[in-house]
Amino acid sequence: MTETVLQIEGLTAGYGAEAVIEGMDLALPRGKITAIIGANACGKSTLLRAMSRLLRPEAGQVLLDGAPVHAMPPRTLARRLGLLPQSPIAPEGITVLDLVSRGRHPHQGLFGRWTTQDEAAVAEALEMTGTADLAERLVEDLSGGQRQRVWIAMALAQQTDVLLLDEPTTYLDINHQVEVLDLLTDLNRARGTTVVMVLHDLNLAARYADMLVAMAGGQVVAAGPPAEILTEPMLAKVFGLTARVLPDPVTGTPMMVPIGRHAAPAKDRT
Amino acid sequence: MSLVANITALRLRMGRRRRAMLTALTTLVLAGAALTLMVGQSLTPPLTVLRVFLGLESGGEAFTVGVLRGPRVVVSALAGMCFGLGGVAFQTLLRNPLASPDIIGISSGASAAAVFCIVMLGLSGTAVSVVAVAAGLGVALLIYLLAWKGGAAGARLILVGIGIAAMLQSFTAYVLTQAPSWSLQQALRWMTGSVNGAQLAQALPLAVALAVFGGALIALRRDLETLRMGEDTAAALGVRIGRVRLVVICAAVGLVAFATAATGPIAFVAFLSGPIAARLLRRDGSLLLPAALTGAALVLLADFAGQVLLPARYPVGIVTGVLGAPYLVALILRDHRKGGAL
Repeated sequence: MTETVLQIEGLTAGYGAEAVIEGMDLALPRGKITAIIGANACGKSTLLRAMSRLLRPEAGQVLLDGAPVHAMPPRTLARRLGLLPQSPIAPEGITVLDLVSRGRHPHQGLFGRWTTQDEAAVAEALEMTGTADLAERLVEDLSGGQRQRVWIAMALAQQTDVLLLDEPTTYLDINHQVEVLDLLTDLNRARGTTVVMVLHDLNLAARYADMLVAMAGGQVVAAGPPAEILTEPMLAKVFGLTARVLPDPVTGTPMMVPIGRHAAPAKDRT
Repeated sequence: MSLVANITALRLRMGRRRRAMLTALTTLVLAGAALTLMVGQSLTPPLTVLRVFLGLESGGEAFTVGVLRGPRVVVSALAGMCFGLGGVAFQTLLRNPLASPDIIGISSGASAAAVFCIVMLGLSGTAVSVVAVAAGLGVALLIYLLAWKGGAAGARLILVGIGIAAMLQSFTAYVLTQAPSWSLQQALRWMTGSVNGAQLAQALPLAVALAVFGGALIALRRDLETLRMGEDTAAALGVRIGRVRLVVICAAVGLVAFATAATGPIAFVAFLSGPIAARLLRRDGSLLLPAALTGAALVLLADFAGQVLLPARYPVGIVTGVLGAPYLVALILRDHRKGGAL
């Protein structure tokens, strides 16, 4: 039994009158990679926002190491839990070095002098993400994959034990998607960082995550190791999708192949 | 060389660049001040200017430099700094160069209230400033409420603000026509801004506003810089969004309203200072101080141009208006092409 780092208890949250998430319970294991999957608008982003106190819950609570996050001072929480929102937009004219350095914001005092510790954290983040050579460049001049690595570098400079990411691979080419997920795995292995991310690609989620959380209609439908979660009945239930699930030829993790209405073996097509 | 040493060196290089630019801007402000002190309808040599300030000169030169030009310089510089700071604070907070207080009606609100107080109520001095600040805040609140739809989106806020600005400007024009001692000079002050007839007494409230509101902004500069990453990212980095936003809006409105009460809404200084400063410095580190210096330099140099360089004498707001209008058009066109804010 692994230790729980984030505990969600009876969480109800949403925007305005409508609750997107209703009465959710979930425990996220420390030092693991968890992927949250589910159809659009099922409450995945809302869950991340509530966990990082961007959204105040209407009922229930989120506990980080047993302490409710919504009662913590923002800076204190930001030193322990980081969030990379979905497709963040860099301000115009900012250099990579400056953007990554923003990650130190919660560690700096009111008159915060820049310390050698801050500098070391930024250097390490640049190094891990392979963005050191870009330090002087403007973020807006970078490619999509480079830009996403820079944002992750900012989150790494924050040096939190827990890192939440909302669709970190969206809009990236497949090679950059793999690169980002490899990077997060490096981070998880090297520092023991708990990674919780929303992912759309189920096969990549099954391959990289230790635990999958399948959501539908603001509820957790199933949570557990990929082999138990990514199954044909689950795909039907969560996505309304008929699919085959096979072992991934590379890793043996489950791999799903959608069927659709027009599927026919290639040799039959002429 | 290690990576840490490398990026520290890079930071030093960028810091040096920033200091060089700040020095250049300060020089520009001082040059504008010196020109205004020396050149007018008559030329005053630098030494004579110095002697006036040391109290060694009396008579005509003392009057020209000490009473006419001196206060003009002080009020221009202070008002320019207030406009520059207020403008860049709004632009940074709302992440849009169009979201400047002189575009979205806050200057117009302060201006309309000031005109109303002076013309209809016969008030003057501090009372006018106080009402102007209150009106500026009121307009800011009104725009915020009108643009609010489960979150105040930038583009809607700007469009609502432009509409309100137009309404307030016609209100100002109407009140001016009702003025008993209506004069073109006065009208121009409240329509486009002017430092004609500036008095030293106007400088004190400006200096206090700069110290209080400018100080508040400087204290929050890190939070403001982090807010440029977007509200979600900033919140995740521990910025108290609501509190920072409230303080920044109040301080920026205060700065702009005090300056407007003194000089009228000098056209586009708030709008131009931040982007000019950003272009000069590239965008690393806070833009507050550079924008304040740019504002002061803009007002001083534009006023000098309006008084001395152009064939007729124009109030400063006309000159800055001519500079700012093309930039406004260019900005709207660019945003439109990007499918951006508007």
